Amino acid sequence: MGTFILRRSLQGFLVVLGVTIVVFVATRMIGDPAQVMLPLSATDAQRAAFEQQFGLDRPLDAQFISFVGDLMRFDFGESLWQRRAALEVVLEKLPKTLELIGVGLLLATVVGIPLGALAAVRPDGLFDRVVVGLSLTGLSVPQFWLGLLLIMVFAVGLGWVPTFGSGSLAHMILPAITLAVPSMARIMMLVRSSVINELNQQYVRTAKARGMPFGRVLFQHAMRNALVPVLTLVGWEVISAWAGYTVVVETVFAWPGLGFTAMKAINHSDLFLLQAIVFVVAVGIVLVNIGLDVLFKLIDPRIKEA
Amino acid sequence: MNALTRTAFRATLSRALLSSLFLSAAVPLYAAGLTIAIGSEPTTLDPQQRDDGAERAITDNIFETLLERTPDGVLIPGLAAEMPTQVDALTWEFKLKPDVSFTNGEPFNADAVVTSVLRIINPDYNSEQMAYLGTIESATKVDDLTVHITTKSPDPVLPARMYWMKMVPASYSADPEFGMKPIGTGPYEISGWERGESITLVRNDAYWGDVPEIDDVTYRFVSEPGTRLSGLMAGELDVIRNLYPEFAAAVPKAITAQGLETSTLVLSTANPVMQDPKVRKAMNLAIDRAALAEALFVGNAQPVKGQLVNPKSFGFNTSLPAYSYDPEQAKALIEEAGATGKKITLVGESGRWLKDRELIEAVGSYWSEIGLDVDIRIEEFGEYLNQLFDKNSRPDAIFVTNSDELLDADRPLTAALEFGASYASNVDEEMAAAIQAARSETDVEARAALYDEITQKAYDLDYLAPLLNQEDVYGLSERLNWTPRIDAKLLVKEMSVIE
Repeated sequence: MGTFILRRSLQGFLVVLGVTIVVFVATRMIGDPAQVMLPLSATDAQRAAFEQQFGLDRPLDAQFISFVGDLMRFDFGESLWQRRAALEVVLEKLPKTLELIGVGLLLATVVGIPLGALAAVRPDGLFDRVVVGLSLTGLSVPQFWLGLLLIMVFAVGLGWVPTFGSGSLAHMILPAITLAVPSMARIMMLVRSSVINELNQQYVRTAKARGMPFGRVLFQHAMRNALVPVLTLVGWEVISAWAGYTVVVETVFAWPGLGFTAMKAINHSDLFLLQAIVFVVAVGIVLVNIGLDVLFKLIDPRIKEA
Repeated sequence: MNALTRTAFRATLSRALLSSLFLSAAVPLYAAGLTIAIGSEPTTLDPQQRDDGAERAITDNIFETLLERTPDGVLIPGLAAEMPTQVDALTWEFKLKPDVSFTNGEPFNADAVVTSVLRIINPDYNSEQMAYLGTIESATKVDDLTVHITTKSPDPVLPARMYWMKMVPASYSADPEFGMKPIGTGPYEISGWERGESITLVRNDAYWGDVPEIDDVTYRFVSEPGTRLSGLMAGELDVIRNLYPEFAAAVPKAITAQGLETSTLVLSTANPVMQDPKVRKAMNLAIDRAALAEALFVGNAQPVKGQLVNPKSFGFNTSLPAYSYDPEQAKALIEEAGATGKKITLVGESGRWLKDRELIEAVGSYWSEIGLDVDIRIEEFGEYLNQLFDKNSRPDAIFVTNSDELLDADRPLTAALEFGASYASNVDEEMAAAIQAARSETDVEARAALYDEITQKAYDLDYLAPLLNQEDVYGLSERLNWTPRIDAKLLVKEMSVIE
């Protein structure tokens, strides 16, 4: 197990390095920060002074060498937009996004798995149809619109929760639901089909024939075998939320997290902040993947070290 | 009990129930005083560093300037005791109000003014506001309440620039904490900044002017227009700005004020089809500006009066007429010029200014209707800027919205019409010389006359196709009483609450 984690970590390190280099090149192509940051009526001399201040007037290879050098010390430079260390900005926003993803996906899992499993008990029955209908709705509704709709109903109409911002549990409810809905729908569908598949297996028939209570058959045996694909999906949901799905939710609810900050960094052509964000996100994805691999091995020892 | 009060009652009741269950003390739903939404969180509250409208919304209440404007835009003394006088072509003398102090006790005097000026023009400080202040050379103290400010060349706009430059305390402004805990002379002072959530100001009870009515004000950071609107409707916000005109009917109170922004197309005068003045004339005649104002802005915009200059700005040419709309004549002119079916490119962007894409596409279709083959290119913003500032190859027409913060014709005309300066598409060196001459003409009448000539020529030869002066649309809560200003400043001291 030890060498397994070590090898995965080494691969992960290479992935992060590759992503960082790609981002360095890509951010140099998204627009000239001096043009974007300064007023439209700024003079060419003022733009030149700005580029000089941030070292953007140097040739690309010189910029790259100092970028790699700074990277070794986890120095991503100063954010052009925030004017403080880029990594500091990222670490300040990070907890808010983790909080949102954590609560949102917990909600998606806690609701999605049991509903999916129960729907599988009698495929095409009434409950199954309701669950499938809900899933399809959840998958089809644009998150942006869903967020605004929830605000209109629960914040403006009923006044139960605040419309935007963060800082208390009440603030968390609507953003977490908005983030959770599509994931919940996908999890429900996958659990349903996996469990249907398992319930048709021989061992389930045997267990039933031996008089095992159905609840135990369902939750202890069928569910356990259905768990690997479901875990894969949950991992994927975490990664995709982490890598961008929170942007929409954070924007709608004025949630001061990393996704929203990434959006702003792009708007401001803030190369240094973007590099720091992508680096942290890449590290996060690698960590989640390693964690999943370890988890799979624990659940199902048959999985080979690939 | 009517429906509205019932809803309000129900909301209050359920909120009270829920808040006892959930709410930690972090952000109270009911803050005493006002709550104002701004589009983004300021990166600093140092008022001299950035060019950021969200930061200004706050620092306009903490800091003051030597000169102010009336709500209607007329320059009047602020921290200056009287309007400045010119000592010579390059030197302006400012007399200061006595007995004004910063909220940390530092006096407001000549030292503070000299520090403020030297600090912002220091190249190492690299202020983004130098785009407004680039002509200033230095400042010297004459006596405790008199300062001389000098410019690199004669600068008639200097008084307007001193309406822009905020005064900071002489010694505390060097403190590294200054950007987080700003200290000014204004009617409000900072009381708290919760990162990512809100900034709160409280009334400065020792304020030298009339003590304002509102006790405290909280700024929340909401970038999404739909969310701002919901916050206003839910009673969590008192003021939102940049309200979509379509939403005006949905909010408790919507008010509009003449704005600083003017949308325009900058027309090339050198490209093959465009060099014929008849083509450009036709392009202006083809646009139904009144319909654009009505259809896209629900009437919250005014067709321009033949020029890019804002009607409230110095240099506005009162003799120019509104552009007429005559598609038949436009078509005839295009045929006469032999341009029917000729291809022209129209470059623009999307999302930077209110209704930009809609305006660009509407103009494109007006031009198609008179027989031109219009290639509309909506570019990503970075690429758009590359084309906007490209001196060597000008698009046939490029969309831009100009915001005239200093209320003076110099900046908009320099940007849009001075050949070689910024994003002008004409090649008229005479006009460039005239704009430069006007920039340093200190005789007010002579300067106004120069701008009349410049705007007349741009109108006659159709160097631009200006579209609309946009109005600012604000949404207010029912209880708030406020009249917006031409300069769009959100001055809390001018607001009051109806009990």
